[in-house]
Amino acid sequence: MAEPKKGDTVVTVGTRKGVFLFVSRDRKSWTSRGPYFEGETVRHAILDPWDGKTIWAGVTSEHFGPIVARTRNLGGSWTTPKEGPRFPKESGITVTRIWQIQPGLDGELWAGVEPAGLFRSDDGATSWSSVAGLNDQPDRKEWPPGNGGLCLHTILPYPGQRKRMMIGISAAGLFGTNDGGVSWRKMNGGIRGFTPDKVLKDGEGGVTCPHKIVRDAKDPAVLYMQNHRGVYRRTRGDPAWTIIEKGLPVVNKKDPSSFGFPVIAHPYDRGTAFIVPMEGDFNRVVHKGAMAVFRTTDGGKRWERLSKGLPQKDAWFTVLRDAMRTDDSDPAGIYVGTTTGQLYYSRDGGDRWQLLADHLQPIQSVEAGTFGGR
Amino acid sequence: MVGGEPRVRVWLPRALREYSGGEDTVELSGATLAKVIERLNARFPGLGYRLLDDQGRMRRYVLVFVNEDSVGDAGPDAVRLRDGDTVHIVPSVAGG
Repeated sequence: MAEPKKGDTVVTVGTRKGVFLFVSRDRKSWTSRGPYFEGETVRHAILDPWDGKTIWAGVTSEHFGPIVARTRNLGGSWTTPKEGPRFPKESGITVTRIWQIQPGLDGELWAGVEPAGLFRSDDGATSWSSVAGLNDQPDRKEWPPGNGGLCLHTILPYPGQRKRMMIGISAAGLFGTNDGGVSWRKMNGGIRGFTPDKVLKDGEGGVTCPHKIVRDAKDPAVLYMQNHRGVYRRTRGDPAWTIIEKGLPVVNKKDPSSFGFPVIAHPYDRGTAFIVPMEGDFNRVVHKGAMAVFRTTDGGKRWERLSKGLPQKDAWFTVLRDAMRTDDSDPAGIYVGTTTGQLYYSRDGGDRWQLLADHLQPIQSVEAGTFGGR
Repeated sequence: MVGGEPRVRVWLPRALREYSGGEDTVELSGATLAKVIERLNARFPGLGYRLLDDQGRMRRYVLVFVNEDSVGDAGPDAVRLRDGDTVHIVPSVAGG
């Protein structure tokens, strides 16, 4: 197997049974590595964008607990720490799964876990500290789980502003901090509730299930969200989230909210984001069995359907919340994994697609980056 | 019996043998399951985390049998061991 070189594209794929790596110099010919952590679920694995070398993998053994492992040689060897994140004794709860790993701005590492919690490591995942300001929220006993469990699945640091962060919890909603995690504010204003005519307000409790949130590549204040109850955008100064669903498929005219799991932003084009609509929460498969990625290039005013090269009949799979990502190449590559084990990708920002890998286990997460950094 | 403590044999499941250098059984001393796990962890650092949850209970899907009898939901501190006991650690039959 050829040794990776600086500039190679690396795609990390977390599945129900291990993690796979795909490496390419030209994004046409790929070599695969793995599976690593055979038999264990990897809900998220990511090439650290700061060094372009370390891959972090959140490995969940349903029997023996979760850890965050790392490799610095593309899977040649893995370092597994002695412990994973742990809730303090007085909490009465236990970390069961790692849902998200996020390299921070100062070399720290963040982990989002189930039951919902945020942890920080300053020694490369060897030890973890609980972010008490969030994990000890007084109403956490009222946080309801989503269908996948009560999980903290999205961690969004704010580029250039180290004390700001937003996180997403299914189904306790969105929380933001401006003071480095000491205090957190609920930021669910404008989101449809689960009862007719209910619309949530900032700062209030209530049930909402953000499936994924992402920052715009050019303006980190601009957020896009795929929620259980629709697709939204929010930016600085907005009092609430705004629905952005024009051009998305409508399954139920009485309830036009667009259901799906992932949302990603283009790596450098302002106002450009991608989602994969599903039929609805009653049937979480791609719309009409025809797979399509939808793209907006104007911040959500309008969505266009992209399907060239994607299966257009009998495609009855799901694309999970972390199973779509971009690389940082030009033109941008986009990678989408399915619960039936296919990995599709586009080398031209979503216009044309092809199969990169097939017959994998249900894909939980996809990340793409550049070996050695960009 | 060593130092007044029972000597027991612990069987490790395949998934945990990376900690024991591939050995499937380990002999050590301990009057309770908690003490045995503490000493397992001292000998093979990290093994304790794999067996006990954040509250010090056996992980939900880890089963323990002492001489073929399940310890059930008993906490590790409450499981008393005798000299010559065999402790089997088994992942529960689950999943797909």
